[in-house]
Amino acid sequence: MTETDDIDVETAVSADSVEAALEDLEGEGLEGYNYAYLDEHTKREVRRAILKAIAIPGHQVPYASRPMPLARGWGTGGIQASLSLLGPEDTFKVIDQGSDESVNAANIRRLAADTAEVATTTDTTDADVIQTRHRIPEEVLTDDQILVLQVPVTDALRKVDSSDAANRRRHAHKNYGKMWVHLYENVVEWGEINIAARYPTMVAGRYLMDPSPIPRWDVPKLDDADNLFVFAAGREARIYAVPPHTDVEPLAFEDRQFQVERFPEQSCAACGSTDTYLTEVETDDGTRHFACNDASFCLKRQDDPTLPKDHHLERSGVDWGPGTPDADGDGGVAGDADDGGDDE
Amino acid sequence: MGYVAVKAGEELIQRAEDLFEKQRLADEDAPITVDQLEGQLERLTAQAMSEAGLYAPRLAALAVKQAQGDTVEAAFLLRAYRSTLERWDESVPVEPSAMFATRRVSPAFKDVPGGQILGPTKDYTQRLLDFELEDEDESGDPTADWDLEDAEPTTLTNVVDVLREEGLVSEPDEPDVDAPTDTTREPVTFPVERDAVLQELARGETGAVTALGYSALRGYGQVHPTLAEVRVGKLPLTIEHPYTGDEVTVADVAVSESEAVVPVYAKRDDPQFAFGYGLTFGRNERKAISMTILDASIQLESEDEPAENAEFVLDVVDGMDSFGFIEHLKLPHYVTFQSILDRIRAIRERKVAGTTDDEAEPAADDGTDPAECESSESEPSDRETIEASDDD
Repeated sequence: MTETDDIDVETAVSADSVEAALEDLEGEGLEGYNYAYLDEHTKREVRRAILKAIAIPGHQVPYASRPMPLARGWGTGGIQASLSLLGPEDTFKVIDQGSDESVNAANIRRLAADTAEVATTTDTTDADVIQTRHRIPEEVLTDDQILVLQVPVTDALRKVDSSDAANRRRHAHKNYGKMWVHLYENVVEWGEINIAARYPTMVAGRYLMDPSPIPRWDVPKLDDADNLFVFAAGREARIYAVPPHTDVEPLAFEDRQFQVERFPEQSCAACGSTDTYLTEVETDDGTRHFACNDASFCLKRQDDPTLPKDHHLERSGVDWGPGTPDADGDGGVAGDADDGGDDE
Repeated sequence: MGYVAVKAGEELIQRAEDLFEKQRLADEDAPITVDQLEGQLERLTAQAMSEAGLYAPRLAALAVKQAQGDTVEAAFLLRAYRSTLERWDESVPVEPSAMFATRRVSPAFKDVPGGQILGPTKDYTQRLLDFELEDEDESGDPTADWDLEDAEPTTLTNVVDVLREEGLVSEPDEPDVDAPTDTTREPVTFPVERDAVLQELARGETGAVTALGYSALRGYGQVHPTLAEVRVGKLPLTIEHPYTGDEVTVADVAVSESEAVVPVYAKRDDPQFAFGYGLTFGRNERKAISMTILDASIQLESEDEPAENAEFVLDVVDGMDSFGFIEHLKLPHYVTFQSILDRIRAIRERKVAGTTDDEAEPAADDGTDPAECESSESEPSDRETIEASDDD
C-alpha cells in the first residue's frame, strides 16, 4: 500500500560485517529485525508474485514462501502477503473465522503491530489491509482496501487429483472435466452438490480457483467486487488473486444451482440480523443459538439493527453476497436484501 | 456476548506462554544450561539443525531448550530465525573423501581402503536401562587411561568411487555447480531437479524420512540397497576468499553421510548399479540412510510406490509443513463446520423427502425449469424437514 523500498535504515540489520550484524541483533523483542519482519528482497518477491497473480486472475503463482515465526497452516502465507503490502501509514485488521478476538488473529495482529508498526483496528471500514481466515466481511469492501485470505489448500482440483504437477497441466489446458465429473457424481450420489466450503469457482472464465475455505455464503462477494482479493498460501507456497471487477462464478449445473448456506427462520441472537452468516452455538443448558459470525459488524448491528452492509458508501444497493436467508436459494444478490419475506 | 466460541486476546496468549514456561522453570532445580544441551544432548541438537537446514550448534541448543526438547519445534525456531538472515556466500563443493571421519563402516565389503572404523556407537550395546546414570554425579572420561599413539588423521577412499572406477555404478547427472538450487529461496515445482530433492530430504523430518525409507524396504518399492559406507565426521567448510580468490577453509561441519548401491539396472546394454546418497547435519545415521533409500527410489522415476514418487515424498517429508498443518486443526473451524452442517442437513432432508414423498425425486430429475424446481419444489420441502431432522 505504501512505499516500503525507502525503509527506515535504523531498523535494518547491518550487512557490513558479522560483528555489526550481531550487534544490531542485540536488544529486546523484535528490535534487530527488519521493518515488517521480512527482508526487503523477500517482500519485493512477494509483491511481484502478487502483481503477477493480479495480471492472471485465478492463476496460482509459485513464490519462495519463507519460514515465519508462526506455524505453517496458521496464516503464514497471509502474513507474508500482508507484511509485504503494509506500510507504516496503514491500518491493519485481522480476523479468524469471523472474529477479531480469536487467539490466532490476535497473534498475527501482534506480529504486524510489533514489526511493521501499523495501526490496527477491528472495524472493517477503517482497515487498509484485512487479513482473514475463511471469511469475507459482511460490510462491503471498497476499492482502496485489500483483503488477504489465508489459504490452506491452493488448488480446487486437489479434490480430484492429489498431484500438483498433473493439476498444473490441467490448468494450462483449461481442462476441468474431472471436476465437472466429480460434481456430477455428487449429484447422482447425493441429489445435490455436496461441497460445503472451498467451493470450486471459475475466475474470469479461465482459471478454476479454490477460493479458500470461505463458506459458500461469501463466494458471490468475489464477483465484480470493488476491492482486490489476494489469496496467499505459506505451506504450499502459492499466491493468487482476484482483481477488482473480475467475473467470478461458482461451478454448478443448470438444474443444480449454486446454493449458499441457509439459516431458515434463524436470526442472530445478539443483534437480530437475518442477512448475515450465522454460526450455531450449543449452550450449557442444551439450547441452540445462532449468532453473527462477523463479530465486528454484529456489534454495529447491536447499536443499529437496520444498518445496511453498504452504510459507509455513498451509493446504496451495492451487490455484496447473499441478500437474506430467505432469498431464493440461488446465491441471491444484495439488491434483494430487504425483501425477503416469510416463506411459510 | 457469550456466543462467540473462541474469544481471547493478547493477555490470554501471554498467560498461555507463561504457563508453558512454568513447566520448564517451576521446579527447584537449576535451569539446564545451553552448554549442557550442546555437549550432552548432541543428538537432539543435531536433529534440530538437520531439520532446520541451519548448522549452528549453539543456536540449536538454545532452540531445544526453548522448545523443551521438541525437536520439530526447535527446528522451526531455527528456520524462522534463518529466514531473517542474509545469505552471504556459497561454499565451494567438497569431496566426501575430504571428511575427517570418526566413524565409518562399509557393509558392502569385509575390508575397504582405510579400514572399517567403528568409532563411538551404541549399535552393538545391549539396550538395558543403566540405573547408575540416575545418580551420576562425577563426570569422568571413560577413555582417559587408554594408551593411544599419536597418528595423523587420514582421509578415506570413497567406496562408491572404487566401484565407479570399475564402471559398476551409473554416474549421477552433472550438477549445476554455478547455480545450485536452494529450495528455501525458490519454490519447488515438479518435475524437480535432483539437487532440490536432496536438499528437501536433508531438511526432512527424521521420523518422516525414516518411515518413507522404511516403506521401500518393507515392500512398497524396489529399492533394497547395499550400503557402500556410512560415515560420521567433519567436513571442511571452504569458501573463496573475497579478496584473494583463494579457497580457504573457515570451519568444520559435523555430518553423517551414507552411500548405497542398488541392484536395479537402468540400462539393458550396459548394466550398472543405481545408487543413492544421504547427508545430514550432525550425528543422525538413521536419517542419512533413509535419505539414501529415498534418493535411490526417487531416481527410479516411477509413480508405482509412494517412496518412488518425488512429489509425494517431498510433499509429506517436511516437518515444519506437516507439524503446522496437523496442529492447525486445533484452530477454530466453526465457519466451515457450519457450512458442512448445512450440506449434510440438506442431503438428509432430500433423503427423507425421497423416502416419504415419492414425488420429490422425479420433480428433481425431470426437465422442468431449474429455477422453478429449486424455488418452488425442493426448497419449501427442504425447510420442513430441517426441523424434523433437528428434532432427532
